[in-house]
Amino acid sequence: MKKLLVLVLALAVLAGMGFAQAKPVIGALIRNLDEQFVADYAANLKSLAAKAGVELKLLDSRSDQATQLDQLNTLLTQGVKYFVIVPNQTEATEQMAKAIAAKGGGAAFSNIQPSVAALKVSKNFFLASSPESVAGTIQADIIDNYFKKNPGKLAPGKTINALFLLGQLGHPAQKYRTEAVKAGLIAKGYKLNVIAEDTANWKPDEAQQKMDAWIAAYNGKFNIVITNNDGMALGAVESLLTAKYTKADAADGTILKVPVLGVDATQVALKSMSENKLYATVLQSAKGQSGTAFALALAMANGTYKPGFVADGIKPETKPGAEAPANDASVIGQCYLVPFEAVTKDNYKSYMTK
Amino acid sequence: MAANAVGALARKKGIAAFLGKNTNLVTFVVLATILGVMTRGRSFEWPSVRNLMIAESVRAFAALGVGMIIITRGIDLSIGYVVCLVASVSASFAQTPDYMAALYPGMDFPIYLPFIAGILTGGLFGFFNGVLVAYGKLPAFIATLGTMSIARGAQLIYTKAAVVGSVKDAYKVLAQGSVGPIPNLALYVVVAAAIVWFLLRHTRRGTNFYAIGGNPVAARVSGINVEKELVVVYTFAGLLYGIAGCLLSGRLGLANALTANGMELDAIAAVTVGGISQAGGVGTVGGMIIGVLTLGIINYGMTYLGVDSYYQLLVKGFIILVAVYFYIRKYSQR
Repeated sequence: MKKLLVLVLALAVLAGMGFAQAKPVIGALIRNLDEQFVADYAANLKSLAAKAGVELKLLDSRSDQATQLDQLNTLLTQGVKYFVIVPNQTEATEQMAKAIAAKGGGAAFSNIQPSVAALKVSKNFFLASSPESVAGTIQADIIDNYFKKNPGKLAPGKTINALFLLGQLGHPAQKYRTEAVKAGLIAKGYKLNVIAEDTANWKPDEAQQKMDAWIAAYNGKFNIVITNNDGMALGAVESLLTAKYTKADAADGTILKVPVLGVDATQVALKSMSENKLYATVLQSAKGQSGTAFALALAMANGTYKPGFVADGIKPETKPGAEAPANDASVIGQCYLVPFEAVTKDNYKSYMTK
Repeated sequence: MAANAVGALARKKGIAAFLGKNTNLVTFVVLATILGVMTRGRSFEWPSVRNLMIAESVRAFAALGVGMIIITRGIDLSIGYVVCLVASVSASFAQTPDYMAALYPGMDFPIYLPFIAGILTGGLFGFFNGVLVAYGKLPAFIATLGTMSIARGAQLIYTKAAVVGSVKDAYKVLAQGSVGPIPNLALYVVVAAAIVWFLLRHTRRGTNFYAIGGNPVAARVSGINVEKELVVVYTFAGLLYGIAGCLLSGRLGLANALTANGMELDAIAAVTVGGISQAGGVGTVGGMIIGVLTLGIINYGMTYLGVDSYYQLLVKGFIILVAVYFYIRKYSQR
C-alpha cells in the first residue's frame, strides 16, 4: 500500500505541471522539438500566445505522424478548434484538416506545406510557410554568385564537383532542399557532378566523420560542399579545418579551399561565417512563419478573420505560383508565403544576436 | 466468531494476494484513476476512451508479437523498421492509380494485395530473424539489430526515400472506420489477442514457448524442437508486425521512412510493464494488453494535460522504471 501511495504522489507532482485555466485556446501540433528551426518556431509561438493572452496547447509529435494524429484527436476531444500545425508530411494534412473541419475549426500549416486538397477542405485552412525547396533554390543562387565571382574555381566545362551531406533520408527537408539545389544549378547551366552524397542525419559529428573519409578519398576532386543544414555544414567545416584543407587568404569569402553551404542561419553558423569558415547559409524564418500562422489562428479564434487578412505583415498570394499548394487558383487566397533569406557575407551581421 | 475472523482474514489475504499477483493491473488502474481525477472525469468519457483505443491499436500488434518472443527469452529490435517497411510496401500497392508520383503509377491493384504483400513482408523478416537466432545461434539482440538495419535500408531503396501517399479510400477505411462506436482497429486487436491467447494457453506450441523461455536446456531434454519453435515464434511475430504495418499505413493514409520509428522500444517497454519477464517463461496476453494500455494512458494523459514535451519523456521513463521495479521485486520476493 505504501508503494502505491509513493507512486500516486510522484505522479500527482509530475502531472501537476499540466493544469490550465479557461482562456481562448489555440492548439499547436509541432512535428519535432529536437530540430532547431521547429524549436525556435515553438518558442516564438509561446511568447506570442503569452502576449496575446491565449492559452496555447503545444504538443510535440517527435517526428511521428501517428502520434500527431493522436494528439489532434485529443485536443479536438478537449474542444480545441483552431490550430497552428507543423505537420510531419504533406500527405497527412488533408486527413487532419478534415478532422478539424468536422468540428467547425481551422488551421494554419507551417514548414511542411499542406496539400491543395487540405486547403480545399474549407476556407479556414492556410499555408503559412516558406516551401523547403526554396531553401535549395536560394543555395543554388548563392553558389551561382560564388562561381560567377570566382570562375577559376569551376572545373573545366562549367562543372561543379559537389559533395552533398544530407539530412535524415526521407525527411521532407532533406528531400526537397536537395532536389531544388541540384535542379537550380542545372537550370543555371552548370554541369553538376556529384562526387559523393550521403546522409549525416542532420548531425555535426556524423557529417565530420563522412567528410574525413571523403577528404581522404577525393582530395582535390571537389570544389564545393553542399549540406541540408548548418549543423552538418559546421561538421564539414571542422573536418576541412582539421585536414588543413585551407588557404592563406579569404578573398573568396572563406579560408577553406572550397566553400561550404548550410541552411538555417543558426547563431553558431553565423559565428563561423564571421570567422571566414562557413561560406553561406539560408534563413528559414521561424519567427516569420510562426508569427503568420499564429496571427491566422488567433483571427479565426476571435472571429475576425476575413479573406485578404494580413497576417503578421504577410498578405495572401493573389496569383498562382510554381509550387504546390500556392499553384492552385482556388486556394491561392489561403496561401501566405513567408520569404526565405540568403545569408551571405553581405548581410550575416544583421542576423546575429549580440 | 473466531471462524468469522479467520474467514475475513482469508478474504483480506485473498485480495492482497490478487493485488500482489497483478501489479500490472494495479498500476494501470492507479494511473487511470489519477488521470480521471486530474481531468475531472473527462478521460473516462467515450471520446477519450476511443482516442486511446485508436492510438494504441497498432502498438498492440507489435506488443503481442514481441511479447511472445520475450516469453521464449528472445528480443526483437527490428520491429520499428520492419513495420515501417511493411507500411511502405502495403501503401505502395494501395495508391490511387491516377497519382503520378505513385510507386506503380497507373496500376490499380485489388484491395487485398496490399495486405498480402505487407503481411508476407513482415512474416519473411520474422522468419529470417528466427533462422538467425535458432540455427545461426546469433544472440537475438544482435540478429534483430542487423535485420533492423536491413529493413531500414530496404525501405529507403524501395521508396527512394519518398513519402508513399495518396492511398485509396477503400484501403484507409479498413483502418479508419468503425463498427458503431467501436473503432475497427480495436476490433482487430481483440481478434489478434484472442488468437495469441489461445495459442499460448491452449496449444502444445504455446506450452513449448513457455518451456523454452523458462529453461531452454530442460526444454530440449524434454523433447521440444527448440530451433523449430523459435523460428515459429519469430515468424508469428513477423506476421503480427505485418498486420501492424498494413493498419498503420491505412490509418495514416501514407508511409515514409519515419513511420513507426522507435516502435520496438514502445512495444518492449509496454510488455515489460505488463509483466512479461525479460528472463523468459513468464507472461500472459492479458499482461501484454494491460502494458500497452498503461503506456497508452501515460502518453494520452500527458498529452491531455499538456505536459511539456521534454518532460513527457522524463515522466514516461520514470513511470516505466517504477512499474517494472515493483514487478521485479515481486518475483525476487518469491
